[in-house]
Amino acid sequence: MVHPVEDRPQAEVALKELAPGSAVLALSGALDVHTAAATRREISTQLAGKSFQVVEVDASRIQHGDASGMVILYELVHGRFTPGVQATLRGLRPELEKLLGAFPKPEDVQAAEHLAARKPIAVEVGMATLGLGRDFLEVVAFLGRLSIALAGVVRRPRWLRVTELARVFEKAGANALFIVSLISLLTGLIIAFEAAQPLKQFGAQIYIANMIGLVMVRELGPIMTAIVFAGRSGSAFAAELGTMKVNEELDALKTMGLDPTRFLVVQRVLAGTVAMPLLTAYSMAMGILGGVIVTKLMGFPLSLIWRQLTAALGLKDILFGIIKAVVFGTVVSGLGCYHGMHTRQGPSAVGDSATRAVVSGILLIIVIDAIFSVFAFALDI
Amino acid sequence: MAERIPMISVRDLYKSFGEHQVLTGVDLDVEEGTTCVILGGSGSGKTVLMKHIIGLLKPDRGQVFVEGEDVVPLDDLELERVRRKFGMVFQGAALFDSMTVYENVSFPLREHSKLAESEIRKRVLDKLAIVGLHDVAEKYPAELSGGMRKRVGLARAIVRDPKIVLYDEPTTGLDPITTDYVDEMILTAKEKLGVTSLVISHDVASSFKVADQIAFLSDGKIVAHAPPAQLRASTHPVVKLFLSTWFGKN
Repeated sequence: MVHPVEDRPQAEVALKELAPGSAVLALSGALDVHTAAATRREISTQLAGKSFQVVEVDASRIQHGDASGMVILYELVHGRFTPGVQATLRGLRPELEKLLGAFPKPEDVQAAEHLAARKPIAVEVGMATLGLGRDFLEVVAFLGRLSIALAGVVRRPRWLRVTELARVFEKAGANALFIVSLISLLTGLIIAFEAAQPLKQFGAQIYIANMIGLVMVRELGPIMTAIVFAGRSGSAFAAELGTMKVNEELDALKTMGLDPTRFLVVQRVLAGTVAMPLLTAYSMAMGILGGVIVTKLMGFPLSLIWRQLTAALGLKDILFGIIKAVVFGTVVSGLGCYHGMHTRQGPSAVGDSATRAVVSGILLIIVIDAIFSVFAFALDI
Repeated sequence: MAERIPMISVRDLYKSFGEHQVLTGVDLDVEEGTTCVILGGSGSGKTVLMKHIIGLLKPDRGQVFVEGEDVVPLDDLELERVRRKFGMVFQGAALFDSMTVYENVSFPLREHSKLAESEIRKRVLDKLAIVGLHDVAEKYPAELSGGMRKRVGLARAIVRDPKIVLYDEPTTGLDPITTDYVDEMILTAKEKLGVTSLVISHDVASSFKVADQIAFLSDGKIVAHAPPAQLRASTHPVVKLFLSTWFGKN
């Protein structure tokens, strides 16, 4: 049975100003699907043109209600009626309180709204471009600070903190020997095996030694080592500095009058710059060893293999590989520190920085390697 | 008699991050030797204000004077000189995890002076005693409780005898008893060292305990600034609401 409209209980809205900027909004009667629309209009009318810093909703005289009515309370409490001011609620009956509690949290609503809000493509492009510009400026500023700090260390060697430098060097360099050995040796073996078959067709298997020598020394030695270095140490630098940033340790250093770049970044970049060429030289040797093992297994004498190797490899090839390694070392450790120092706030921020350090590190390794190759080709090195 | 220059003085300070206006014209004076608490809700810009005072952030507009010197235009090198006047206690203590308590506290001394090891040891143990810590010098921060870490943080902040100590939410995340210890620690530091203290907090009870003056930050402005007793009588709606959470509605 449908009641005539006038029989239904109505809702009443009374706004009372207590002090300037503060008000109590008393709701009474029924706050349900039948009265919601009228109540909403009434509240909007009464609040129109007024500005409050504090609004309290007195819900003690709401007799009954349903979800439609509770939406109004929800919107009041989350500041939808009074922008910037979240009303406080008191006196709501427990059963209605439960109903109100079933509404989603504002952050969930916000997340859904955020997903829905798509910006026009021009705005997206513009914002991305501005973001790139900002990132570029930050990188330049970082390089500037690093240069100043390095110059400072040259002037005052005490600032170098040798023990810290040694610790980083051990972690990034010495402790990476095993993984570099394994990867380089296996790479040498694999390439030798793969090359053996096609070269056999021409009776040119002895040239495996030449090929392994050139490939490991000029390309794979530096690149494989740099990728291992980015994964092990680039990410570690980003995570270490990122954790310090999140724990406010970097701010603490600044307040003690110490520059975090000089104090933490210089050691890591120097250690990386020195460790990378050493690791690379070791990787070259291990890769060649892998190739030599295969060639020896095929029945070639060591003296012949050695002659082939020395004929194929010149000092300039070794220098080419080592110089690349120095550049990779500086770039990867610098990037790791940069991402660590620019870690944002939040639970996943440190992980994000570590990921960014590795991804951008590997990307730059390949790009720089390509640039080296083009120059080497052009200059006939 | 000439008017005394306040230890810290903030004038018409504005700061926004992107579109978000955090500080919209802050004015604040902190007199020498007093403890001023900046009280305000989460996200009201308290930490941002503190970071301006010690020069970790630069404002969009406005001035910050420390002992009468405007620190806003200073570069990093000059700021280092000004920062020597400060010791700062961070919210999470910000101790260096790879160092022992002794190394943490002695760290600023070692980096900035050429004191003999015996002198460093004496000063470090003195400061640890002031904050009520004994026999923890050789422990690592990870072995200490939250309250003890805060104390080590204070010992590190005062080891170079600063004129001003800044506390960033010193009692956040601590249980009531530890909160009480930390409040005592702030009072003791003021009494024994005569430092000017600036505390930022949203903890009404501990603010009323340690403060000589309370400045209430809301909507990016200081809306009330008074000794604790007078602040209770404030008619500002947000201040009233905030204090009512602790003192009740009447």
